[in-house]
Amino acid sequence: MTTPPPPAATLHRPPGLEAEPFGDSALMLRIADNDAEARRAWARRLRDILLDVRPYGMLNLVAGAESLLVEFDCLCVSHYQLAQTIRLAVAGLGLGDTGPAAGAKDFIVPMVVSAEFSPDLPGVAEELGLSQDATLAALTSSVLTINLLAAAMAPMMAGVNFPGQVSRCTEPRTDVAPGSVMVAGTSAIIQPFPGPSGWKVIGRTPLTICDIHEDPPTSYQPGDRVRFEVIAESRWAELKGQFLRPAHQQEGGRHGTDA
Amino acid sequence: MEPTREQDVTITISEPGWLSTFQDLGREDSEYLGVPCGGAADQLSAATANILVGNRRGAPLMEIMGGRFAFTASRDVFISVTGTPADVTVGGVPVAMWQPVCVPAKTCVIITNARDGMRNYLAFSGELDAPRFMGSAAPESRMGFPQQLAAGHKVGLDSRYHGFSQPYLGQPLFRLPVPVPDFSANLWTIDVVDGPETAGTPGIRELLSGSVYTVGPKSNHVGLRLNGPVIHPEGLGEIISHGVPIGAFEIPHGDELIILGRSRTLTAGYPIVAVAAKASLPLLGQARPGRKMTFRWLTNEAAVERWREQQRLLTALEDRVQSLFAAVGLPLHEAPGSSPPDVRAA
Repeated sequence: MTTPPPPAATLHRPPGLEAEPFGDSALMLRIADNDAEARRAWARRLRDILLDVRPYGMLNLVAGAESLLVEFDCLCVSHYQLAQTIRLAVAGLGLGDTGPAAGAKDFIVPMVVSAEFSPDLPGVAEELGLSQDATLAALTSSVLTINLLAAAMAPMMAGVNFPGQVSRCTEPRTDVAPGSVMVAGTSAIIQPFPGPSGWKVIGRTPLTICDIHEDPPTSYQPGDRVRFEVIAESRWAELKGQFLRPAHQQEGGRHGTDA
Repeated sequence: MEPTREQDVTITISEPGWLSTFQDLGREDSEYLGVPCGGAADQLSAATANILVGNRRGAPLMEIMGGRFAFTASRDVFISVTGTPADVTVGGVPVAMWQPVCVPAKTCVIITNARDGMRNYLAFSGELDAPRFMGSAAPESRMGFPQQLAAGHKVGLDSRYHGFSQPYLGQPLFRLPVPVPDFSANLWTIDVVDGPETAGTPGIRELLSGSVYTVGPKSNHVGLRLNGPVIHPEGLGEIISHGVPIGAFEIPHGDELIILGRSRTLTAGYPIVAVAAKASLPLLGQARPGRKMTFRWLTNEAAVERWREQQRLLTALEDRVQSLFAAVGLPLHEAPGSSPPDVRAA
């Protein structure tokens, strides 16, 4: 265990926190760092600091993949006052290290690949210069970290071992089925409920990942780790509608791989 | 008149209109969990409706989107209707919008023929028994919380209102200083401020302020999709998914302009070329398909001043309601000064 640096040392090296106005009542916060994984971890830490400190005037916090959007009451504070408060809070509390979150859980998400469930797989494979099998292998061999809960508590995960970036749809789909496994850039996301998305759809899980009648509605949270497994379409009916729980709580353990 | 105890009222919806739901000003502390704040698209009209019946601004109310909405109540109720101009009758007699209205028990209230804008808000003195998700009655239909009102639906109301009359007229006339928005212009002008990619999109300022845009049919609570000229910024590179403020103007790869609403999600990586001024959001929340609009650029400072003025008028109304209702014995469902300076409201 290392001794934390004295507060004065922390204060002398404030992290590179960028604060950019996003309209009259919002501020976009990003940490300047060359390493994407560090930016994501720091964004999670920054979120925890702001939820703890609750700077005066802050109304709402929206987590992004590598950023935080703070919406505020523009009659209480200005962009500049709020940015200063946040910088002081960060300097005082420190962003800490960027290692894995304490208590992170592991999830295994089974997915079915088919013409119906994977409409964008051929295009994604072509864009990456891989075969479709190699594209899926790149996904299933990756251990992904949930950075944030996006639309309707969708787990947004970074770290897919793709050799390049996957582009988004030219025109976002207005209705993507729940369970859809989607990719963009080198990130993946699972669609919890029907709705719009501009991400590329390459598979579908039979599991229910979010249910507002469960408490909490999801068993995952930012910092948890996820691995995908391609399963045979014949197993769909058996798994359909089961609520996603951490790997060690799932009945029968792993869902098994495609034979 | 002594404030009296609450009593149970049953409101029976006989005609639900095209789409009517429970509503409020939206969820707090839900966005970082991926649940949009949601809430009334026209926050100003919704907050005003509640203020006019002595409720807190964020109390549950009903949002009516078109068609013919009708209800009766088992006891006397005290209501207000705000939002876009519509015909409101109580027992067949026309009554004013944007003022409190006394409704006798078992008398049919009809709201119909909404024009110009898209939404009406119906508030009841008291607390509506509306289901909540994450502390709010606002619909989150995508997650299985639609909150839709149907014909035959019976809604509970806890109210301390026991009827009110003044000696000379049957229907009391309230003349409260209500800031009523004007939805009648053929071309709406929406104030906007710079977005993060405004500077990186040369020509966008002149284009937005010099063109007319039409709200398209695919618009909803997630966003208004506008038809009109756009410019695609070049060389911005990959945009990492990030949070976007309500009212952000996005240009997707296709030729349309999207203005994000209160049920927006993270941006799908599209550039944000402008952001609606906070004071213009209520008007945007009334825009229906076919609505024509153009845009006017403001500095952030000017946008904050517009919002300050809008809030000043709302607070002045709140003060008048508090003193009037206290003087004549109408129920106030929130003690004056007990609320934090709310902030998101309206």
